Amino acid sequence: MIGVYREFEGCMRLSGHVLRRLAVLARPPVAESLTRQIYFTGASATAGIVLRGAFIGTLIIAYVIDVLDANAALAVKILLWVVLREVGPLIAAVLVIQRSGTAVATELALMQISGEVASLRQMRIDPRDYLVVPRVVGIALSTAALTFYVQVIAVGGGMLLSALTIDASLGELAGEFFNLASPVDFVYAVIKSFLFGAAIAVICCYHGLHPPGTSINAVPKAAINAVTQSTLMVMLLNVVFAYLVFGQAFFGLVTAKL
Amino acid sequence: MSPEGVALGYEPPAGRGEGRVWIPLGGSHRAASLGAHQRKALVGAVLELRPDPGTRLVLLGVDVDGLGPTVRAALRSRIGFLPADGGLISNLNAWENMVLPVAFHHPERMRAVAAQVNGLLSDLGADRHALLAKLPEKMTLFEKKLTGYVRIVLERPDLLLVEDPLGALDAAERAVVARFPAIYLKSCPGGTFVQLEVAPER
Repeated sequence: MIGVYREFEGCMRLSGHVLRRLAVLARPPVAESLTRQIYFTGASATAGIVLRGAFIGTLIIAYVIDVLDANAALAVKILLWVVLREVGPLIAAVLVIQRSGTAVATELALMQISGEVASLRQMRIDPRDYLVVPRVVGIALSTAALTFYVQVIAVGGGMLLSALTIDASLGELAGEFFNLASPVDFVYAVIKSFLFGAAIAVICCYHGLHPPGTSINAVPKAAINAVTQSTLMVMLLNVVFAYLVFGQAFFGLVTAKL
Repeated sequence: MSPEGVALGYEPPAGRGEGRVWIPLGGSHRAASLGAHQRKALVGAVLELRPDPGTRLVLLGVDVDGLGPTVRAALRSRIGFLPADGGLISNLNAWENMVLPVAFHHPERMRAVAAQVNGLLSDLGADRHALLAKLPEKMTLFEKKLTGYVRIVLERPDLLLVEDPLGALDAAERAVVARFPAIYLKSCPGGTFVQLEVAPER
């Protein structure tokens, strides 16, 4: 329990450091590291993440339409409430954890064990400035961008599939969708996924910089801790967001008394 | 003893059985009789500016004990350290490793850095085309030392500590490393170059 509290406190301190030291992004090596992180998480992963996200999103629509025997209005509501607000950001976050979270935790743990973090200190460079700030900002921005791509493709794919399987045209479905959707839905999803990305990055950086040992065996352990805790944090943040913004969580199973 | 005129002074407590290091300001010096433990303690104390209790540490004419954080940080910025393995960052190539501290602390000096790197590498007789794009995993120990050395000299420290500079090198590489002090003193006139060599285990 004390260990969990220490890790939580460590992550909060690291988040505070990132917020206080955002100006360090103007320094050339940190800016370069930010660009690399955005390229790695947001650009080079786009095709794979978007395809997998779109596949999962479309699959959900196909199942729901089949099971509920949905009409156009219900299909659009499912697209909006499930895919746009919840599944899109969650899929993007889980895929970012799988791909970038593990890479960051492993890379930093290796750097810590091999003495490279100490080398940075010898150069009077705070490892949190050079290693953590660009990764947190880069992963947060990339997660928001990836969520947007996943949403567009999953919603588009879902509409296309709905138009083929139920008695409604694509134009009718799109019209219904834009009538029902509000800017809040998009802003909510973008802010939420930005925070998902930041939380994932902070947790993975924390575990990377604090591996549970000094031997090479500590590296996979650091990665496992990072992945487990960032997945839990994403789920927790998702529930908190849904409750705060829409007054309900767990897809409506828990409702706020307003 | 007065700290005046001393570049590096390290006096462990009498009971520890460790030698005293007392190096004057300016020129090239060797601290050759250090045991591995003492060398580690000395390097740690110098880099953190926090000697073990009872140990006296003098750096660049200043007794470190009792200095405030701002003065400590200013003093630390005048000290460079080259570890035995070069201390490189594995995901940066040689060029990126060389310019990392300058780009981080003094981005305004970056315009002049390329010419300085070329000058230093030609003084050392290194093939810059072969070296600059290499990642540390592809480098020999000599190339790592060379890269780390250029990185430190670009920072122009007033005191440069080089750990075990000749260890595990062949004769031709040792001849190049033997030029390190002269090249440093040419770049940083008035600086102090200290080679930390390990005494053979008995």
